[in-house]
Amino acid sequence: MTTSEIIKTILQEFPFALYGSLVVGIVCAFLGVYIVAKRVVFLGAVLTQVSVLGMALTFLPAMAIGHSVGSLAVTLVAVLILSRWLAGKKIPRDAILGFVFVFSIALRILILQKAPKVEVSEIESLLRGDILFVTPQSFYPLLGVAAAAMLAHLLFFKEFNYISFDAETAGTQGFNAGLWEMFFYMIAAVVIAVATHMVGDIFVFGFLVVPPLAAMRLARKVKIIFWVSVLIGAASPLLGLFMAFKFDFPSSPAMVSVASIILSLSWLASLLRRGEV
Amino acid sequence: MKPIIEFQQATLGYGRKIVLKDVSFTIFAGDYFGMVGPNGAGKTTLLRAILGTLKPLSGKVSVGNLSASPLRFGYVPQRDTIDHILPYIVYEVVMMGRFRQIGWLRRPQRADREIVIESLQHVDVKNLQHRVFRDLSGGQKQRVLIARALASKPAVLLLDEPTNGMDLSSKTSILELIHKLHEEDRLTVILVSHLLDDVANYVKRLALVEKEFFQVGNVDEVLTAQNLSSLYRVPIEVTRTPSGVVILAGGRGDH
Repeated sequence: MTTSEIIKTILQEFPFALYGSLVVGIVCAFLGVYIVAKRVVFLGAVLTQVSVLGMALTFLPAMAIGHSVGSLAVTLVAVLILSRWLAGKKIPRDAILGFVFVFSIALRILILQKAPKVEVSEIESLLRGDILFVTPQSFYPLLGVAAAAMLAHLLFFKEFNYISFDAETAGTQGFNAGLWEMFFYMIAAVVIAVATHMVGDIFVFGFLVVPPLAAMRLARKVKIIFWVSVLIGAASPLLGLFMAFKFDFPSSPAMVSVASIILSLSWLASLLRRGEV
Repeated sequence: MKPIIEFQQATLGYGRKIVLKDVSFTIFAGDYFGMVGPNGAGKTTLLRAILGTLKPLSGKVSVGNLSASPLRFGYVPQRDTIDHILPYIVYEVVMMGRFRQIGWLRRPQRADREIVIESLQHVDVKNLQHRVFRDLSGGQKQRVLIARALASKPAVLLLDEPTNGMDLSSKTSILELIHKLHEEDRLTVILVSHLLDDVANYVKRLALVEKEFFQVGNVDEVLTAQNLSSLYRVPIEVTRTPSGVVILAGGRGDH
């Protein structure tokens, strides 16, 4: 296929794959800056698995609710518990996250074994989402969630930054650090739950981590880091989708790979800037 | 002097763990108050109780008013509690001190920006305003954190281990700055440190903090060889010279 044919195919046949990946790429790249700054990178992976577990639960006969509702409910409950656990200092954060990660996967496998009349592989593919099959019906709720998340962050940008930088002092000025942390994790949970169902866990986790890391290498000011991360979050799905069609790759890994190449180049640029290469 | 902070038979701790039991003392407006004690003795716990972020398990901690509005604290945390992953510039860090006054859903106004610059000038780091906070030296960071506390226009300045990990010249310069803020700006200062000599030659009143040994009084009354030896469980000598107090630990003059 030529370049123009690929673009034409994407725009005509899979426009919502393009819009969906763009929206999730942007919002995950933005939230990911805080996730990396808070040193809870693994939280992204954990919440994607918790969200998949929530969807898996809805396959049980006793849980006759929508997949998205189940995913969202379980993810929010997990965040309520995690935000308290993560605030403590007795157990290392990565140990807590590791436990929830592996428990979610184990429980999902057990549940799917007991899900009646459906092939496990079929459910797994439904659980993991596929960018190419984003529909208008699934895209608009996603757009709504992403817009609400971004709006909350724009309105409370200074509060989220203060808590992220120095929660203790913010607490002495009347900011309830615990509540703000929970608010942040709730927003992240809703975005991750909705996005994972639609575009898959690899894409969501990848874009929570890779664009922010690249942006932190490239930019020297906090606001610029957010902008650069969002820019990479927007550009990588576009390039990745193009590469997926051009070379017949699966779309999510292609998009995450493009973002990872940008990260590698940013590392190189950073080393060159510091004269270490 | 007007009492502004009163501990009345306050027991402080976390959950079932009691850190300090039945503590009673008063801090007055205009005080220059030090809290010293070994690591883990409960100094930061006392500070949290003053700031209201830790409620007493029993007893009472009252924080009064100096005017019609509630007492405003300017808190300077230990430098290592601050996360350095994101490269906030000094100006942004000091502006955080204004966030409470700015309020929700509002952006900093010209008055806030002026206060930030004034605060930076006041602690002699205006020239650093565009520098990245994490790239500064320990002494520079401490000045920026003091500027942030001043930006909130506090009545009381609380500093938690402000000279920890600093070389002699940075340490002296920070202690002189705090002294100046107390003398010239009439700020009530509460200084927490595990370094005795930091506190001994600057503050006017002192609390020796330990679970089984809690004493409060003027420096001359409290800072005795007997008290310090009991507190730290090593022989300590206290010598008063015209230029200040000299504290020698272990009988070898190595403090």
